[in-house]
Amino acid sequence: MAKSYIPVFDPASAHTEAISHLFILVLVVCAIILLIVSGIVAIGLIRFRQRPGSGDPPPHFGNRKLELLWTIGPTLIVIWLFVLTARGMHESDPVPPPNQEPDLVIIGHQFWWEVRYPKAGVITANEIHLPTGAKWLVRMESADVIHDFWMPELARKIQLIPGQTNHIWLDAKKPGRFLGNCVEYCGVGHAWMRAVVVMESPDEFAAWLREQQKSAPPPVTDSARNGWKVFTTQTCVNCHSIRGVSAASLGAAPDLTHLADRSILGAGVLANSTTNLFRWLKNPQAIKPGCLMPNLKLTDAQAGALTGYLEHHP
Amino acid sequence: MSVTVSTAPAVATPPTEVKLRGPYGWVATVDHKRIGILYLLTTLFFFLVGGVEALLMRIQLARPNNTFISPDAFGQLFTMHGTTMIFLVVMPTLIGLANYLVPLMIGARDMAFPRLNALGFWMLPFGGFLLHYSLLAGGAPAVGWFSYAPLSETAYAATAGTDYWGLALLVIGIGSVAASINLIATILTLRAPGLTLRRLPLFVWMVFINSFLVILALPFLNAAIVMLFIDRHLGTHFFVPAHGGSAVMWQHFFWAFGHPEVYIMVLPAFGIISEIVPVFARRPIFGYEFVAGSTVAIALLSFGVWAHHMFAVGLGHPMDMFFSATSLLIAVPTGIKVFAWSATLWGGSIRLTTAMLFAVAFLIQFTIGGLSGITFAVVPIDWQVTGTYYLVAHFHYVLFGGTFFAVLAAVYYWFPKMSGRMLSEKLGKLNFWMAVIGFNTAFFVQHFLGLMGMPRRVYTYADLPGWGLLNLISTLGAFLLGLSVLILLWNIIISLRRGRLAGDNPWQAWTLEWAATSPPPQQNFDRVPPINSRRPLWDLAHPENPDPAVGGRRSRDGFVLEKNRVGMVTFLVSESCFFLMLILAWLFYNSRAMTGPSPAGTLNAHKTGMYTICLLTSSAAIWLAEKQLRAGRHGWFRGLLGLTILLGGIFIFGQGREYLRIYHQGIVVSSNLFTTTFFTLTGFHGLHVCVGLILLLLLMRLSLAGDFKPGRIEAVKSISLYWHFVDAVWIVVFSVVYLKLLL
Amino acid sequence: MTTSQFFISAWSGNPWVIAGCAAALLMGGARFRPPTAWLLLATAVFFVTLCSPLDALADGYLFSAHMLQHLLLLLIVPLLILLGWSGRTAPQDLENGRWRWANWILRPPVATWLMGVGGMWLWHAPTLCNAAGSNVWVHHLQSASLLGMGLAFWWPIIGPRTGQRLAPPAGMIYLFTACLGCTLLGIIITFSPVEVCSIYLHPLDRLGILPLIQDQWGLTPAKDQQLGGLLMWVPACLIYFFGILGLLVRWYREPGPESAPAAATQPTLIEKPHGL
Repeated sequence: MAKSYIPVFDPASAHTEAISHLFILVLVVCAIILLIVSGIVAIGLIRFRQRPGSGDPPPHFGNRKLELLWTIGPTLIVIWLFVLTARGMHESDPVPPPNQEPDLVIIGHQFWWEVRYPKAGVITANEIHLPTGAKWLVRMESADVIHDFWMPELARKIQLIPGQTNHIWLDAKKPGRFLGNCVEYCGVGHAWMRAVVVMESPDEFAAWLREQQKSAPPPVTDSARNGWKVFTTQTCVNCHSIRGVSAASLGAAPDLTHLADRSILGAGVLANSTTNLFRWLKNPQAIKPGCLMPNLKLTDAQAGALTGYLEHHP
Repeated sequence: MSVTVSTAPAVATPPTEVKLRGPYGWVATVDHKRIGILYLLTTLFFFLVGGVEALLMRIQLARPNNTFISPDAFGQLFTMHGTTMIFLVVMPTLIGLANYLVPLMIGARDMAFPRLNALGFWMLPFGGFLLHYSLLAGGAPAVGWFSYAPLSETAYAATAGTDYWGLALLVIGIGSVAASINLIATILTLRAPGLTLRRLPLFVWMVFINSFLVILALPFLNAAIVMLFIDRHLGTHFFVPAHGGSAVMWQHFFWAFGHPEVYIMVLPAFGIISEIVPVFARRPIFGYEFVAGSTVAIALLSFGVWAHHMFAVGLGHPMDMFFSATSLLIAVPTGIKVFAWSATLWGGSIRLTTAMLFAVAFLIQFTIGGLSGITFAVVPIDWQVTGTYYLVAHFHYVLFGGTFFAVLAAVYYWFPKMSGRMLSEKLGKLNFWMAVIGFNTAFFVQHFLGLMGMPRRVYTYADLPGWGLLNLISTLGAFLLGLSVLILLWNIIISLRRGRLAGDNPWQAWTLEWAATSPPPQQNFDRVPPINSRRPLWDLAHPENPDPAVGGRRSRDGFVLEKNRVGMVTFLVSESCFFLMLILAWLFYNSRAMTGPSPAGTLNAHKTGMYTICLLTSSAAIWLAEKQLRAGRHGWFRGLLGLTILLGGIFIFGQGREYLRIYHQGIVVSSNLFTTTFFTLTGFHGLHVCVGLILLLLLMRLSLAGDFKPGRIEAVKSISLYWHFVDAVWIVVFSVVYLKLLL
Repeated sequence: MTTSQFFISAWSGNPWVIAGCAAALLMGGARFRPPTAWLLLATAVFFVTLCSPLDALADGYLFSAHMLQHLLLLLIVPLLILLGWSGRTAPQDLENGRWRWANWILRPPVATWLMGVGGMWLWHAPTLCNAAGSNVWVHHLQSASLLGMGLAFWWPIIGPRTGQRLAPPAGMIYLFTACLGCTLLGIIITFSPVEVCSIYLHPLDRLGILPLIQDQWGLTPAKDQQLGGLLMWVPACLIYFFGILGLLVRWYREPGPESAPAAATQPTLIEKPHGL
């Protein structure tokens, strides 16, 4: 959406391309029908306007042939549309082979996306990196209520339903940065449940994945150690994990490993920068009302140290 | 074929209405015309409330990252706006119009059940009050008008708002079903001589078919709400996946109601347009039979398309494809109507009054909405645009640009009949142009917003290119639309005082309501004109060129029905749908493996079987009682009636013992999904039995007071039918639950 | 084997079916010279149902194919036969001949309705469904009974004795309620996690086409049951739907019954009301 005005018609994958072409075709058919109906109405209104002094025209009750025509004609059109639909479904959402392991797992939470790369052992949140030219099978789950993942340029939308798993394919022909939203009202923070998908060349992706696989090193500098102390003593560790530092006992919040590498904070409510992270830590509720992170009432010093730690130590 | 005939007169006995003056007269009225007007005034009030909610949202959305309204308040606003507009405005407006017009259009004095009519109306303000009381009780519902589970469960929706939502909908639903039963009974039994079903005005025909949709679909909603309530307050897990429930089940149940609901909101509008366009084109409707037949087709198909609201759920391609096929198919009968209305214009002599202007706008706007609907039926397209502002645009085009514009046309068309005065055409045209421009400005751009990626139900959005501008345009259009409503209100107020006197038939229309005075007297007609065709008043004005006598001269329908029986049968059909949902829930949840109490270990089929025999015997008893009453043997009647009550009482006693025995084992409704579905299903059946017992006791009292001596047995026949129904349901429930049929 | 290979090769020549088709054509040809197009179509569909690759698939492989057979036998073939029969002279036998007993089942609409809807439900009881799948005589009984029950079901709607037919409004209720009956069954089968017909769970691969079905066509037993339930539900209801539309057409075309002589309860006025 940053690049294109109308993402639905700016597909970046073969799947959404199939949808986009189908959509344009159907819109053309609809436009023609609308023109015909509007034309009949408009011309009729002008041509058959009441002339002063004229009485009622002789009654005319219908024309069987015409009525059959406008019954059978649309039925044929509708059958044709159905054939296109069946084919379009197959092209845009191929059924995954049974028992194929997913390449990516996305778990919806109120109000963020948990992202796991099971084969690489990487866990991150809200920002997904993928290599171009490969079709990745994504498994969708939910930890609480129904969410809906939508990347208009990349794939069909799919609901994330607690108690059920769904699958879609994610792929792109060319690199790019794509924005998406949760599209099923999931609570107060729904509007800010955004996601970013970064499609990069296979080499860049491999490099990114390698970085993500590294655990966070223990803090070395003083400021880092201060920040680490705040993180581990101010209840952050109960919900947030940082690989190599701590595993959260509740696991109810985004994994913060390599937070510095991400472009967004709070599932898209802020861009990732030191100032923004500081603001967020001071009062998340003011920035994203309804998010499940409470206001921990950190002092400026604590927030500053924590920001420093998270932004400079992956 | 059997024919039900009774000794009751064919015309509704006029309600003994004391001449009540002033406001109390309106509160106590059972006159369908007053009730119709009460409906319209109430819905007008709620329309303003819902409109303000909409405008508040549009202010918030006019700029990106706006902070005018908090996300929590916004969630309440969109939930209340949707719920209000659907249940407190559109549905009751159409019911109110039907209430006013149907008896007049069929030459009857009043509806079949005037007191039921009044009861149905008062459910509306009561329900509206309940819904809005939530604002004082912790917050309005904030989970969307369709309350998806598990968001609507207590874990995520902790305030009582959702409960008030459910209660309000149950109450309003009672009103809608009551009104529909009334309409069906009225249309089937109170038509003037010569007005066969094939000669019905299209408004009446569409209201008739629509009423079937209401009685069949609303029980689906009631069942779903009841199950949600039980989840929220008794700790059960119908829709809680973490404990074996199913969130998707809520969606199926809700949309099984929700889709017929949208047709319920549009069929009467089709009826309105089918009346107005011919009159102002001065020609009969083009192809009456196709228009009437396509209504039946739409009604039937509307029950088979619901899962097109669930294409993003991942039901699997086969399911998606079947529902896509039916959804595409339903476009055909809808298209037939649009073409018929357009063809009616062709070759006519068109008068562009305000009513006609609104009708023409309906035609175009509804076509746009219908076409965007077709795009949704094409599944891959739905996968892109569902849940976005493209969807918001679609449903506002069909419901506002469609139904509401039809209602506005109806107001301008029938206001003279209701009040005796004409609305100002000048103000009307101003109203029209502001409405059309405002509406299309507000909602056309929303198609683009959806394609640009804007989801629905967001309280704000990022400053992406074009989003702010289009949202601002939409907000401006909405305000223009709001202003047009004020013009309408002003027009109504001043026309009531200073409008031109209308006379009986200012539009030279052809249906029966225009043969009465404006406004009609309490009994509607002193005499009804002769009816030989679909346009009786045309025939009277043009005796040299009457319309063809549909079905032959002086024909009648091949059946005579009695209104109490029709009313009861219709009600029972509706209740069957409710039980059907509970039985489906039972089958679904109990076909899966689960831990905890099981039917085999908990239930006692033998004991319950004995009580079942009691219940079935009671049916035989009341059947015999009816025969005795017909033969005039009142002593025997009372004896057998007493036996019925006794046997029914034994059954309830047995049920109670069974419940108590289970409870003493430490098993409660929330133990697992078996106990939940068991208690829900048998509990509701038991409730129906108790209601039946109360009715039977009332009959006994009436009999002791000598009420049946003159041979008035309608009440007995209706109540015994209810009792048989209750027994029939128990046979199914017993077979499914205790004998494990179908599992 | 590929899909096309399968569809070319899997035809069989069941002697009972061929005999039945021949008998129908002969009887039809004898009574109505020449046999109507409907009757020819009925025979062709009957043959396809029981002798084409559809039958091969239904015979232990695919539950959905089995459902399709049911639909054809219960709803389509009888309808076609009766369509061919209507408009021709009604059999006098039914009034006072050897076939008079048939009136017991064909006259009351409740009986014929129960046969039509009951037939559908009956053969989906797991024991009966499995029996038909494993025992060839039960299978023949199933096919014959479905055909018979289908004829009974459609009799009040489109039977040759127009006098016995239901009036269109009653006919519409008849078909609508039947549609509800098959919808309920269809929903239960589609959504039930339990196998309705367990012999389809582990098909015996006599023809060597299991890989074709499960891998190429993607029809696992779970998907197959879902598809079967959907077939029972949507296409069956569409058949009833078109039946209702047909009745609507008939209703609007018919002239109405003449009214009783003037016993009107309300006086009617001939003078013009105001405003015209």
